Amino acid sequence: MKKLVSLLLCVMMLLVSVSALADIVICQNKVEITNALMDYAKLYSEKTGVEVKVITGGGSSDYNTVLKAEMASGREPDIFVIEGPTGYNLWADRITDLTGEEWIQYTGMSYMVDGKVVGFPVSLEGYGLAYNKEILDKAGIDPATLTNVEAYRAAFEKLDSMKAELGLDMVVSMVAGTTTGMTWVTGLHNFNLYLTVGTPQGDQTFIQQVLEGKVDDERFHQYCQYVALLFQYSTQDMLLNGTQDSQLAAFANGKAAFYHQGNWMDPSLVVLNPSFEIGYAPHAFLQEDTDGIIAFTPSWYVVNAHGNVDEAKAFLAAMATTEEGHDYMVNKAGMVPAFTNVALQPTGPLSISLMKWNAEGKTYGAEQYQLPDGFGMQTLGPIYELLAQQVIDVDTFEIMMKDAIAGIAK
Amino acid sequence: MTSKQKRKLTEFLFLVPTLLAFVMVIIIPFIYGIFYSFTDWQGTGTFTKMVGFENYKAIFNEPAFLHSFLKTLEFTIINIITVNVVAFLISLLVTGEIRGRNVYRAGFFVPNLIGGIVLGLIWQFIFSNILPAIGQAIGWDLISKSLISNKDTVMFTMVTVNTWQYAGYIMLIYVAAIQSISKSVMEAAEVDGARYWTRIAKIQIPLMANAFTISLFLTLTNSFKMYDVNVALTNGGPVSIFMNKPVQGSELLALNIYNTAFKFNNMAQGQAKAVLFFVVLTVFSIIQVSYNKSKEVEA
Repeated sequence: MKKLVSLLLCVMMLLVSVSALADIVICQNKVEITNALMDYAKLYSEKTGVEVKVITGGGSSDYNTVLKAEMASGREPDIFVIEGPTGYNLWADRITDLTGEEWIQYTGMSYMVDGKVVGFPVSLEGYGLAYNKEILDKAGIDPATLTNVEAYRAAFEKLDSMKAELGLDMVVSMVAGTTTGMTWVTGLHNFNLYLTVGTPQGDQTFIQQVLEGKVDDERFHQYCQYVALLFQYSTQDMLLNGTQDSQLAAFANGKAAFYHQGNWMDPSLVVLNPSFEIGYAPHAFLQEDTDGIIAFTPSWYVVNAHGNVDEAKAFLAAMATTEEGHDYMVNKAGMVPAFTNVALQPTGPLSISLMKWNAEGKTYGAEQYQLPDGFGMQTLGPIYELLAQQVIDVDTFEIMMKDAIAGIAK
Repeated sequence: MTSKQKRKLTEFLFLVPTLLAFVMVIIIPFIYGIFYSFTDWQGTGTFTKMVGFENYKAIFNEPAFLHSFLKTLEFTIINIITVNVVAFLISLLVTGEIRGRNVYRAGFFVPNLIGGIVLGLIWQFIFSNILPAIGQAIGWDLISKSLISNKDTVMFTMVTVNTWQYAGYIMLIYVAAIQSISKSVMEAAEVDGARYWTRIAKIQIPLMANAFTISLFLTLTNSFKMYDVNVALTNGGPVSIFMNKPVQGSELLALNIYNTAFKFNNMAQGQAKAVLFFVVLTVFSIIQVSYNKSKEVEA
């Protein structure tokens, strides 16, 4: 027993000394990329002689516990992850200003505070209206023209009239059911269109209004019309009973021309092996042209001022600017990098399209995460479902939505 | 110390571990819960101020909660009837003179061994995929669309699943009660010329009254607290309109409380609802038990 204890103590001391020896310690939250990141760290060490150690906290809640423990351990991580304002505020006194780093010019997704860059975007996620190129070609529709709501209306109408010859069950594969738990698609992602489409990344105008219980009437009216349009050209069965799987299956099997989901569905989409070309068209719900899809960063690397600031900055810079770094992000970790200077292509068709839009700089942000807890999925979501049930018409939908938003401040 | 006192002390000491556990996991959290329902606690850290009866007042102005309350009553009433009727009938079946009744007993009880979440998901698949497929094939309109996403039939689906799950359990109680009735009483009735249903109605049922007390109490509390099947089968949907507000059409009280506390992160409000829930359920149970007790007879 005594031997075991002393052995354990030795192992622990060894571990402590190892982490003390490392030049950079990264504390991060993506379990799925741990191995890829460790391999990249080894490669980086071989190239530069800088020892890098990776600590992973599983899942987002666990991650915060791990990070707090690491911060208290006496060997603070040099690089760690924040997931938004909550994380930033918690560690604000330690987070270093990264302004002037070389990679900043290649991304619009850095975490900014008071005009200073403090966060390195870990990856990019996004969504638009995914389309089946083969079906659009057959119907003679050029997806590049889908940049305003009238273009969509015409395209949907045409596809709807050709349903039989194109083998379609529906034009848009869309879900809105509370029973199937899909209200995040409507109450969060779709609602975000109202908040950000047509505005620069980081613009707070519409989310601030909503948080005060107000909306821009004209813009909101057009948004509600767009929701009704999407619902009209889906099927009631898909809207109310569709799950994430059946929604994807309808699109992947060529039964729907459009698909309302983000690039996180790529792993499942690739399994279904669609035989046609896929791309993202913008969610252009306004009368005027808006040419961009929603793209956002779920987490950022920040540099700890108490650590090896220069080494940490160099590590991040290498990730964003060297070929090895790009290879790690795209091929090894399977992420969509938030940088425009990455030439590598991810394997999933939705991710490829997302990267293309991002490289062209045509993206809008995601601000729905600022809504109060439960508001999007539990308060707004049910109203979308009522519209899908056709219990209410689009005018009542607009009134009920405004009513719900007016109640947000309470 | 007298020997009597000594014995009392020993008895008490034996009780301590259980008592300690009971106080720690039931009494203290319960008092905490009541206390938090008077604060503005959000679930993290400490609360900032006492708000008196604000949380309770807000409950009565919330259409979703009132709707949940009515739906829970509706579900409880229908469910008590179906579970007990079905359980009683199958208990008659498996105590009768049929072959393989032990197999039936086990068979009827098995659904009770499956967790509510699993059951909910399996039946969701049946109601929204299998039945509609059959309905479309044979051209029966009623089931050719999902019964779950229709607000008029969603209650039926929940009752079906819960009855299927719970009737086997209640059946056991009835079987035990039926078997405990002395054969001579039943035979005497038969000799006197009482028919099968008369014997059941006039002899068996009155003699089983204590089994009804227990079964009704169990089904009442079980239906009132229904959560797992509710969340897995319908997730509170479909949405309907109540008092001009959108509400979750099949969201029962337990799910409503859970959503208030964890989806809206409104812990104090959820806690106030839970206290109210406790009071209502206690009152209903006491009324039911005392009524049923008055009906019990000895042979």
